Amino acid sequence: MNQTDRANRRSSLFAWALALPMPIWQTLFFVAALLFLVVMSFWSVQNFRVTPDFTFDNWIKIYSAGYFRVTYVRTVLYALLAATLASLIAFPCAYGLAFKASPLMRRIVVASLIMPYFTSYLVRANSWKILLTDQGVINSVLGTVGLGPLPMTSNLFAVMIGYLTLILPIVILLQYFSLANVDRRLIEAAHNLRCGRVRTVFQVIIPSARTGLILAATFAFILSFGDFVSPSFLGNNKPPTLTVLMVDAVKSGSQWPRAAVVALTMVATLLLVAFLAMNFAYGEKRKRP
Amino acid sequence: MIHTYKGRGLVTRRSLLKAGVALAGTASGFSLARAQSDDKVVSLLSWPGHGAQDVVGDFEKANGVKVQAKEYTSGEEMMALLQSSPPGTFDVILSDAEYTSQLQQASLIDEMNPADYPLDEFWPEFQKFPAQFVDGKLYAIVVDYGFLGLVYNTKRLTREEVDSYAILSNEKVKGKVGMYDWYLPNMMCLSLGEGNRPPHDIDNAKYDTLKQKLFGLAPQMSGIGVWSSVFSQLTNEESWVMPGVGAWAALLLEKGGVPIKAVVPKEGGLQWTEMLSVSANSGKKDLAKKFIQYMTSAEGQVKEATKAAYWASIPNKAGWKLLNEKNPEAAEKLEHKLDARNVMDELKEGKIFVRDVPKQQPIETWNEAWTEFKNM
Amino acid sequence: MKADRIISLAFKAYIWLALLFVFAPILTSFVFSFDANKFAAIPWGGFSTKWYAEAFADPEIAKSLRNTVIVALSSSILATLIGFTAAYTDYRYDFFGKRVYLALAFIPPTIPVIILGVAMLVLLGRIGLSGQLHSVIIAHVVYSLPFAMALIRLRLSQMNKDLEAAAWNLGASQWRALKEIIIPFCLPAIFSALFLTKAVSFDEYAIAWFVSGFNETLPVRILILLQREVSPKVNAIGSLVFIVSMTLVMLAQIVFLMREPGSGKGKRI
Repeated sequence: MNQTDRANRRSSLFAWALALPMPIWQTLFFVAALLFLVVMSFWSVQNFRVTPDFTFDNWIKIYSAGYFRVTYVRTVLYALLAATLASLIAFPCAYGLAFKASPLMRRIVVASLIMPYFTSYLVRANSWKILLTDQGVINSVLGTVGLGPLPMTSNLFAVMIGYLTLILPIVILLQYFSLANVDRRLIEAAHNLRCGRVRTVFQVIIPSARTGLILAATFAFILSFGDFVSPSFLGNNKPPTLTVLMVDAVKSGSQWPRAAVVALTMVATLLLVAFLAMNFAYGEKRKRP
Repeated sequence: MIHTYKGRGLVTRRSLLKAGVALAGTASGFSLARAQSDDKVVSLLSWPGHGAQDVVGDFEKANGVKVQAKEYTSGEEMMALLQSSPPGTFDVILSDAEYTSQLQQASLIDEMNPADYPLDEFWPEFQKFPAQFVDGKLYAIVVDYGFLGLVYNTKRLTREEVDSYAILSNEKVKGKVGMYDWYLPNMMCLSLGEGNRPPHDIDNAKYDTLKQKLFGLAPQMSGIGVWSSVFSQLTNEESWVMPGVGAWAALLLEKGGVPIKAVVPKEGGLQWTEMLSVSANSGKKDLAKKFIQYMTSAEGQVKEATKAAYWASIPNKAGWKLLNEKNPEAAEKLEHKLDARNVMDELKEGKIFVRDVPKQQPIETWNEAWTEFKNM
Repeated sequence: MKADRIISLAFKAYIWLALLFVFAPILTSFVFSFDANKFAAIPWGGFSTKWYAEAFADPEIAKSLRNTVIVALSSSILATLIGFTAAYTDYRYDFFGKRVYLALAFIPPTIPVIILGVAMLVLLGRIGLSGQLHSVIIAHVVYSLPFAMALIRLRLSQMNKDLEAAAWNLGASQWRALKEIIIPFCLPAIFSALFLTKAVSFDEYAIAWFVSGFNETLPVRILILLQREVSPKVNAIGSLVFIVSMTLVMLAQIVFLMREPGSGKGKRI
C-alpha cells in the first residue's frame, strides 16, 4: 500500500514535470501578449497614437471592406497553392531519399536541406530578384537563345518561388522523416502480393506516412500564409496578401488595432486549418485497432 | 477618426481600459531591467545611418562617449517603440517632421532652449521651420531634409519629359512606373500633379479626382515595393520613372553607376524633414544636448550631408560653406553650391511642400484607396 | 534490374535538381557578394572583395552576429527541451483540456510576426524584461517551441508503445525508461528540432526588432541594410554566415557518422 502510494506520487511528479514546462513558459511569456492583441483590436487611434478604448470600429471597418475579403481569399488560395506545390514537388525527393538513396547521399542531402535555414530568408528572397528580373540571370540566359524575357517578378510566379524557398526544404525533410519510418515489412508484403510499384506508393506508402505528409503540408500552409517577405520583396506588394495589408494599416497613421484585427483573423484561420489537418491526419488511424 | 459607442457599455469599457492601460503601461519605476544608463553612452532612436561611425565618430572621440542607435524603418515603428519602452531607454529621438507634434503631445520630448543650438547659422527658412515649434516653443531641430519628386532613368527619358508628373500616364512608360509602397509620398505627388497646393489639403471633390487619377495608373505600373525592390527595379530597368522618391535614393544609385536622377517637376515637390529632439525621460539630457549640438554644427552637418547610408540636404548655412570647402563634389551633387542655383532657390520658388498627412479626409480614406489600387 | 537502376537514377537526379532550386538564391548571393557593382545587375561589374571588407569593418555587424549566435543557441536548447516535454506529454497522456494545452503551444507561429513583435514588446516591457538579449531569447522560445514539439511528436508517433511499457515491467522507473528508451529513440528528432529552432531564431527579424532594444541581432541588421541603404554587404554577410554554418553542420555530420555505425534503414525496395 505504502509502496504503491510512493510509486503513484513519483509517477505524478514525473507527469507534472514533463507536462508543465510548456504551459508555464507560454503563460508567462505569451498568453498576455495574445490577450493584449485581442484587447488592442478594440482600441482606437488618435493622431498616430494607439489609445485604450472600447470600440468595434476596427472589426466593422475591416470586415466590411471589399479589399479585405478579396485579399483574405487570395491569401488563403496562395498558401494553399504553395502547400500543394511544395508537397507535390517534395514527394519524389522524400521518396527517393527514403528508398533510393545511399545512406551517404541521404546524409548529405538532409544536411544540405537544413543549411538554407542558416542563411537569412531576406537575403535569399533578395537574391531571387537578381535571378528573376527582366534583365536578370535567367532572362539573360534565355536571351542568348532568343527567348524571353519572361516576366518573373511582381507576379504569382515570383511569390510562389519565394514561398517555396521558405518551405520546400522543410517539407522535403518532414516527408522524408515520415517515409523513412514506414514499416518495410508492409512494403515487402505488398511486393509479395504482386502489388505494382505505383500502386504500392499510393496504397501502402502514402497511407502509412500520411500523418507526416499532412503535417508537412500544414506547416507549409502556415508558413506561407503568414509570410511577409515573399509577397513583399518578390511579389512587390501587388496584389497584396494579408500580411501586406497589415503593414499598410500600420503605415497609415499607426493603425495597430486594425492590424490586430487582421492578425487575429489570420490566427483563427490557421487554427482552423491546423485543427482540420490534424483531424484528417490522425482521424482514421484511431479507428484502426 | 470616427468614434461611436462612446458612453455605451461603460463598465466593460472602463474595465477593459484598465486592463489595457495595465498591459500597455510602461511600468514606471517597476521595471526590473534598467535601460543601460551608463553615463558614457548616448542612446539614439533614428532612421538608419545617423548613428553610424562615419557620422558620430568625431563626437564620440571628442567627448569620450559611445553612441548606440536603435534604427527604425517606419515612423509607426518609432511611435510604437517609444510608447512601450521603459523610461530612459532613449536620450535623443530623430523623427520625421510629421511626428514632432505627436511626440510633444505625448510628452515624449522636451522643450529645448534655442540659445543652446546654432539656429542662427541656419538658412532663414529653417530658423523658423514650423514643425520645430509647438506654441512658439522649440521642440525639435531639423538635422537633414530632402525633396521628393520624380526619379527617372536618364537613358530612357529626358529631363524635359520628366518636367511634369504627366509623364506617369504617358504611353512611353507603360509598364515602367514603379512606386515605393506607402500611400503618402505617391498620392501627394499625384495631388501636386493635379495642381493642388498644398497637396494634402484638398476637398472631397478634388480627392475623388485624385483617386481616379491614381487608379488610372494601374496599367502603367511595373511594381510597388519595399526599398530594396525600388532599387532593384530602377537598376534593372524594370522601372524607368517613380514618383515620391528623391535625391537621397537617386544619389545612392548614381554612386553605384546606375543612370538615375531626381527632379522636382514643374508642379512642385515634397520635402521630407528629419529632426532631432531630446527624449523627455532621458537621464542624460546634457549629453543629449551635446549630441544635438554636434549634429547641427557645421562639422556634424557635413557628416550628415554625406553619410554612408544616404546623402541629404542640410539646414545649416555654415555647414554648406564647410561642405563646399571639404567636399565640393558632394556640394555639387547635393545642389549645395553657394554661387550657383541650389536647393534653397527651389524652396524660395514656393514649389516645395512639407510632406504632411491628409487634412480634410481621414488618413485611412487615402490608405484604403492605396490598398484598392494595389489590388487592381 | 535495369529498370530499377534507371528509376533510381531518375530519383537521384530529381533530388539534385530540387537542391539546385534550394541553393540557387544562396549561390547567387555568393556570386554577387564579389560583384563590384553596388546594385546587382547583369553584366557582372567585376571581381571585388570590398563588400567583405566593409562587412568586416562594420562593428554593428560583428556585434549583431555575436548576439544572434547567443540567442539562437540559447533559444534552440530551451525550445527543444520544453518542446520535448510537451511532445512527450501529448504522446503519453490523455487529460481534460488537452486541446487547450496543445493550442497554447501552437498558436504563436500562427500570429504574424509583424504584430506579435509589438505585443511581445508590450508584455515584456510590462514585466521589465524588454530591450535585452534575453528578451529575444524568451520571445524566440515562445515562437519556435512548437516547431520542436511537432518534430519530436512526429517521431514519438512512430514508436512502439510496448517498448516503454516493457521497460517498466522490467522494473525501470519512468525516468529511467524516459532516459533509456524514449530519448535515444527521439534523438534524431531532437537534433532536427535543435537545428530547426536554431534556424527559426537565426532568421527572425520582426519580433527581434521590437524586443531587442539596442542588442540587435543579425536578421535585424540585414533588414535595416535592405530597407534604406540597400547595401550588397548583405550578400557578403549572407555568404559568410552560410559558409560558417555549413562548416558546422558538416562537422556535426562527421561527428555523428563516426559515433553511430550505419543503421539498417534505407534498404532498397
